[in-house]
Amino acid sequence: MADLFDDYLPAAAWDEMFERAGVPRSAYGPVLAALQPLDKGELRFRADQLARVFTDRGVTFDYAGEERPFPLDLLPRVIDAAEWAVIDQGVRQRVRTLEAFLADVYGPAEIFRDGLVPWRLVCSSAHFHRQVAGLTPPNGVRAHVSGIDLIRDEDGRFRVLEDNVRTPSGVSYVMENRLAMTRTFPSLFAEQHVHPVDEYPARLLHALRAAAPAGVDDPVVAVLTPGVGNAAYFEHTLLARLMGVELVEGRDLLCAGNRVYIQTTQGRRPVHVIYRRIDDGYLDPLHFNAGSVIGCPGIVNAARAGNVTIANAVGNGVADDKLIYTYVPEMIRYYLGEEPVLANVESHRLESPDVVEWVLDRLGDLVLKPVDGSGGKGIVIGPHASDRDLAELRIKVEADPRAWIAQRPVALSTVPTLTENGPAPRHVDLRPFAVNDGEDVWVLPGGLTRVALPEGELVVNSSQGGGSKDTWVLAAERVREPQAPPIPMPRVTPDATVPEGGPAEGAQQQ
Amino acid sequence: MTTGLLSRIAETLFWIGRYVERADDTARILDVHVHRMLEEPSGDEDAGCRALLAILGVPAAPGERIDIGTVLAGLAFADDGPSSIAGALQAARTGGRSVREVVSTEMWECLNVTWHELPDRRRAAGRLGPHMFLRYVRERAALFSGLADATMSRDEGWHFLVLGRSLERIDMTARLLSLRMPSASYAPDWSMLLRASGADESYIRTHGGTGDPAQVAAFLMLDRLFPRSVLHALTLAEDCLAALDPDPSRAGFTDAARRPIGRMRTRLEYTDTTLLLGQLPELLPALQRACVEASAAVTEKYFQYALPVAWAQEG
Amino acid sequence: MSTETGWRLRITHTTRVSYDGDARASYNELRMAPLTLPGQTVLGSRITVQPHVAVWTYWDYWGSEVAAFDLQAAHPSLVMVAASTVETSPAPPLPDPPPWTDLPGLARELGLDEYLVPTDRTRVSEEIAGRARSLVEGLDPHDAALRLAAWIRDRVDYVAGATAVTTSAQEAWEVRQGVCQDIAHLTVGVHRAVGLPARYVSGYLHPDPDARPGDTMEGQSHAWVEYWAGDWVAHDPTNRIPAGECHVTVARGRDYDDVPPLKGIYHGAPSSVMDVTVEVTRLF
Repeated sequence: MADLFDDYLPAAAWDEMFERAGVPRSAYGPVLAALQPLDKGELRFRADQLARVFTDRGVTFDYAGEERPFPLDLLPRVIDAAEWAVIDQGVRQRVRTLEAFLADVYGPAEIFRDGLVPWRLVCSSAHFHRQVAGLTPPNGVRAHVSGIDLIRDEDGRFRVLEDNVRTPSGVSYVMENRLAMTRTFPSLFAEQHVHPVDEYPARLLHALRAAAPAGVDDPVVAVLTPGVGNAAYFEHTLLARLMGVELVEGRDLLCAGNRVYIQTTQGRRPVHVIYRRIDDGYLDPLHFNAGSVIGCPGIVNAARAGNVTIANAVGNGVADDKLIYTYVPEMIRYYLGEEPVLANVESHRLESPDVVEWVLDRLGDLVLKPVDGSGGKGIVIGPHASDRDLAELRIKVEADPRAWIAQRPVALSTVPTLTENGPAPRHVDLRPFAVNDGEDVWVLPGGLTRVALPEGELVVNSSQGGGSKDTWVLAAERVREPQAPPIPMPRVTPDATVPEGGPAEGAQQQ
Repeated sequence: MTTGLLSRIAETLFWIGRYVERADDTARILDVHVHRMLEEPSGDEDAGCRALLAILGVPAAPGERIDIGTVLAGLAFADDGPSSIAGALQAARTGGRSVREVVSTEMWECLNVTWHELPDRRRAAGRLGPHMFLRYVRERAALFSGLADATMSRDEGWHFLVLGRSLERIDMTARLLSLRMPSASYAPDWSMLLRASGADESYIRTHGGTGDPAQVAAFLMLDRLFPRSVLHALTLAEDCLAALDPDPSRAGFTDAARRPIGRMRTRLEYTDTTLLLGQLPELLPALQRACVEASAAVTEKYFQYALPVAWAQEG
Repeated sequence: MSTETGWRLRITHTTRVSYDGDARASYNELRMAPLTLPGQTVLGSRITVQPHVAVWTYWDYWGSEVAAFDLQAAHPSLVMVAASTVETSPAPPLPDPPPWTDLPGLARELGLDEYLVPTDRTRVSEEIAGRARSLVEGLDPHDAALRLAAWIRDRVDYVAGATAVTTSAQEAWEVRQGVCQDIAHLTVGVHRAVGLPARYVSGYLHPDPDARPGDTMEGQSHAWVEYWAGDWVAHDPTNRIPAGECHVTVARGRDYDDVPPLKGIYHGAPSSVMDVTVEVTRLF
């Protein structure tokens, strides 16, 4: 029988499974050993099963107005312990830096006075919300949850592609992917010491409770969702359920006298920490978009008065702006006095006319990203763009260069991914999730690996039709499972019979 | 539980209870009706179908001839409103999606899978006849009830779910019995009503195989042990309301929702069974009114939260 | 000292809102309390609301004092009274203006970037900006600022009701009519267009510069501008005068939207009638 990977040809990028055709990297050895004997039909069958399980469980996202199962690829991505240690350290460093920057922006503004970052960048950012200037969160944390998007370049180095400190989503898929994989492929885990991912809700709850207003010993936490129509609604419900907290919509909340309450069948109940999954602009119609009907008026002033904590904080978008991104390595040195553990992708700010001209001359060789974009929207990958796209891009860049940054196109690393014709290399990125409880930043071992499903495609995003992979972080040593005491048994065990009741058929006389 | 349930969630659970029960009852009624039509092709199909549509509150086009296909399209497959089976199941599933963190995963998956399966089941019904579809609906409703029973804590959420189900059951049974009104242009026979209520076997075990109309009506209305009887549903609804608000008053009841339900319950309990048949024309509309009244009172009392309305600006 | 030449003023700013039907769940912010500044001392300031409700204050990003409150119960009307006593002084002498060439660097150093970029409310067309630039050629920043203010005022008639609270500078320019808010927006717009940092000021005005102590006048909620030329200089383009003892500063920002005297939302019919009176009394 032909092996599954016999026809697998690595692409012109760092392949995470194979050093070169036929020579697997050591971290993938056991996975490969377990997968190789399976044939394509068997894999397809399991993949269909998996999609079915997701649809039934409602693990879906909205794609073009349609509810689709979240596409999980059956071939896992494996990160060994040493590689993960670098990511863990780099992400924590990055989050601590962004926290320091946010505290500075909405507080003393020292980095601007010291001339490292131009104040102009902040005050012209659409996400700089003056409404929360001077509002200091109870334990100082603004980015309770961050998602730092990483890619792996041609030399196998992890680099930061983008920071997300507003309301990064996707962690539910990390948990659901693992659950689905352990159910579909239990054998794969037998020989592996993979870090579990189910610790996340407890960590998040802990961080949210730690962020409670001063003097509240037993805070009430709630997850605020825009509602069933939101693309990430599934995630909102999952987090609320796993944390054991209320999932609320704006209309369930009531602000009175700078305090926030949940409206229940037995009247108002105070709430102290709101993990909101609503964008800043819709959160408080008094301060932002007055037409918003999904928010809760008064909530920003309640936070200002110190009676409720909004997580993540309002105004965080100023730190994950793509222009600010280009300054993060400098910020790491400035705030922490450390060298960046994870490098950025080489980027150019279109500030001076020279740079603008230089960039316009080679649009076809660069990646242009809108400063305000998210979810892969508006990105133009020069080498893949048509002449028409490039001409349109040129007009936009000339009109407003400040709205763009230019980056070197990186050939994202590839991982074998199941296609119609068996495993084939597909580009991936990685979004590790970090939770900051004010004492420490914890990084969920693994994170969301997103796959660009079309061949050669470099934009990996579920809102752009991407898939995902279960991401395994291998433990340095076998993770010790806590040993439960043995199940108590009666001292004298008669023949193991299941007790039966009711008159037996043809009741036997004794 | 003393902290209270989100008003929005309480309301959603109440309606999930109603919608699932509605789908179940509609399926039962349709199944019997369709079967009957097939058995007795000589009957007046148009009149029978019109009567059925009227009872279930679905308007029928005046001029056209209405056949069983029209009825199935309107009452089983239409998904443009919760008065059909598919519509009710869709509404229940949408509701389930918005309360899934308070119901068990099994309950949510039951609603979700049912909804996802409906198109296939409907196609199958095209080949194999409606019975398979209707049976599927009944089974899923039973599964949902069973899962709720087995996995839901007996807290407020449970009481709202059961309250919704009970009120819907009273209403639907009243509608079903209205088919037997003397004024009806088409009347199904009593054994058909028993079957539509899923009561035929239980009835026969209790009263034997002879279908005495008075006895059948009494069974469907007043039986204390049969769970689909009106009296049983009234009692259950009242228990739910009592659990939600144990009224401490020494005299009377302050709970506006409990009053119409309690009044109907006592009235039925002390009804002279021999006179019941004659009282039905007056009793059935009264039952439906009581359900409406109780539903409104529950909404007023427990489901007060900010409706999504636009904010007006000042300044 | 300022008491010799400055004035002491008492201001009573009353806002009455009547709703079409009842308003419920109303959330409001008032920026009506004067600031204590060099040349302006607040002796007392109080905001009361009818129906009675607790008022909470904070200072916003722009340094304005904000009074915030919410009302849950249904109410057919809302009355807000902001009363204050303030000592004002005549306009100080003009600071030495920096040369134009130093202005951009100074502005950046002092973090005045946001007073140089147009906002949606203050943006003027390239045509107006071009004319503004040619008007100030050869003038120092003070002369330029006054020249531009006068130029705007000459072309925009003060007509109450010609514009609305949401009108932009450019819209007011097109109808050549407006109130102090529009004239201030336009002036700020052209100041910025020539590279002069400028901000919008919201406050009160005693309408009679010759008022004697004890005189109570129907005053007004007023708007003027401040431009930066070595220091902030306050000028009232509507009345073509420097802001002095008749002016009481309440709030300053990029434009009206940063400093609205009243901002609020409520549940209820969108139509409401608002009646505003400002009484200004010169105490001495």
